[in-house]
Amino acid sequence: MHSSTRRAAGIMTDVHRRFLQLLMTHGVLEEWEVKRLQKHCYKVHDRNATVEKLEDFINNINSVLESLYIEIKKGVTEDDGRPIYALVNLATTSISKMATDFAENELDLFRKALELIIDSETGFASSTNILNLVDQLKGKKMRKKEAEQVLQKFVQNKWLIEKEGEFTLHGRAILEMEQYIRETYPDSVKICNICHSLLIQGQSCETCGIKMHLPCVAKYFQSNSEPHCPHCNDYWPHEIPEVFDPEKEREAGISKSNRRSLRSRQH
Amino acid sequence: MSEQSKDLSGLNFAGEATNSEMHDSPGVPVEVPPPASPAENLAEPQSPALGPTAAPQAVPPPQAPSEEGDPKALQQAEEQGRAHQSPSAAQLCPVPPAPAQLVQKAHELMWYVLVKDQKKMIIWFPDMVKDVIGNYKKWCRSILRRTSLILARVFGLHLRLTSLHTLEFALVKALDPEELDRVALSNRMPMTGLLLMILSLIYVKGRGARESAVWNVLRILGLRPWKKHSTFGDVRKLITEEFVQQNYLKYQRVPYVEPPEYEFFWGSRASREITKMQIMEFLARVFKKDPQAWPSRYREALEEARALREANPGAYCPRSSVSED
Repeated sequence: MHSSTRRAAGIMTDVHRRFLQLLMTHGVLEEWEVKRLQKHCYKVHDRNATVEKLEDFINNINSVLESLYIEIKKGVTEDDGRPIYALVNLATTSISKMATDFAENELDLFRKALELIIDSETGFASSTNILNLVDQLKGKKMRKKEAEQVLQKFVQNKWLIEKEGEFTLHGRAILEMEQYIRETYPDSVKICNICHSLLIQGQSCETCGIKMHLPCVAKYFQSNSEPHCPHCNDYWPHEIPEVFDPEKEREAGISKSNRRSLRSRQH
Repeated sequence: MSEQSKDLSGLNFAGEATNSEMHDSPGVPVEVPPPASPAENLAEPQSPALGPTAAPQAVPPPQAPSEEGDPKALQQAEEQGRAHQSPSAAQLCPVPPAPAQLVQKAHELMWYVLVKDQKKMIIWFPDMVKDVIGNYKKWCRSILRRTSLILARVFGLHLRLTSLHTLEFALVKALDPEELDRVALSNRMPMTGLLLMILSLIYVKGRGARESAVWNVLRILGLRPWKKHSTFGDVRKLITEEFVQQNYLKYQRVPYVEPPEYEFFWGSRASREITKMQIMEFLARVFKKDPQAWPSRYREALEEARALREANPGAYCPRSSVSED
């Protein structure tokens, strides 16, 4: 551990340290926020230096973090392909990250919700189905009313997303827990045919059943007027979403709160 | 890099040390058994080691700790391990963990502290022991020290004991890069606060402190000789036996006094490791006064500091951060 931090000592400056501090504080950030954060850190600690390309900047930091079993991970929101970043722990699963926040029965509620989400066709689990499992929870007995509030707590903490009474995993949860999910539910887990990462929400081929993330569909079928399934070649029946373009977003001047509702609308 | 792990509600951590920089890595998942209660954890003597130091140690001292940069302490730790066989060390320690396991614990503790801070939750020492350190409580100090070092070097954060009384830690932004290492390296266990209280009392008196006087001071912390403390355990045993065994204190009978009374003096180890200036800064912090409120003691501390600087011009100088613990 030491020799790695020593070797990278030349790379790890206050700019990087501050960046890590603030990234950790925020939990999960979108790409535009990360870029702004990076610029801020340069401004505070090294005004005159050129701001390094974000990818290199992050790779540099990750080379230091490697021996600590943590990593700045980049992911993509499943519904609209928005890049997000979070500092994740690779060594232990991230249910343990939540463990510091939540009681035993709350954690178990999350696990139950997670199982329903993974098993579902759409990647969503209805509130009713989750709440019906309240009797099976470990730990202190939880009433349905209480469970509703706990689910809201998960949403606030960016572990779950709620849409019209149904719950799915937040991009952050996928980033942090992908490894755990793949290990714990190897049979029910779904994988994207294009990027081979964990898939919760996506489109499926009606014929052969393969699945693709919406942003992966967008990229794969970009400017393709007659989309066909990459596996069985049957016509791809779903609407092809647009590729996420950060420039377009800025021009449209959409506020953050609007973006949130856009995100939930898109599915 | 593939880190395999199993989740068990965060209280048990299993992992493989696959990092090639790990020394003696067994490469086998380490399952930590359910941790014991905090009181039990902390009543035991903390071997001031930077690695496994239980007397029946067959493994050669690990590489990693020596890189930590406090060669004096490491040397003393090895001497301690060889010189005195503290009975509790021999009887309690199952097998000294491999260095890689201690390093892994330090990483887990680092993450734990970061997450608690992120959630704006209290970082409470007994929780740290219960949730992370578990059966490795004997090596708590070394783990904590390593964690502080990582947090300082990588995150620029100082893990500071904000309250000795409630044993709460906080992550604060470190001052500047040069401070980081010294501050991190000097970070010590809560025991230090207790010890410093006693050492300060002795120092201020200018001679030995009677046991009754010491208890008067410890009463401020809510510690009594007959009460078992939730964190320190048997405080009387701690200060009259364990600190004495570790040479931080001397506990001697006052001559010619009947009925028998005892008094405390600085131990040889305290004289080596703790400077008078650190005591002054500790006093200043605890009593919220300027160190010069104890003028003759302050002068002594200044003289000692000067003598130390002249004797060791380039050496590592333990910073006032001890008093910040």
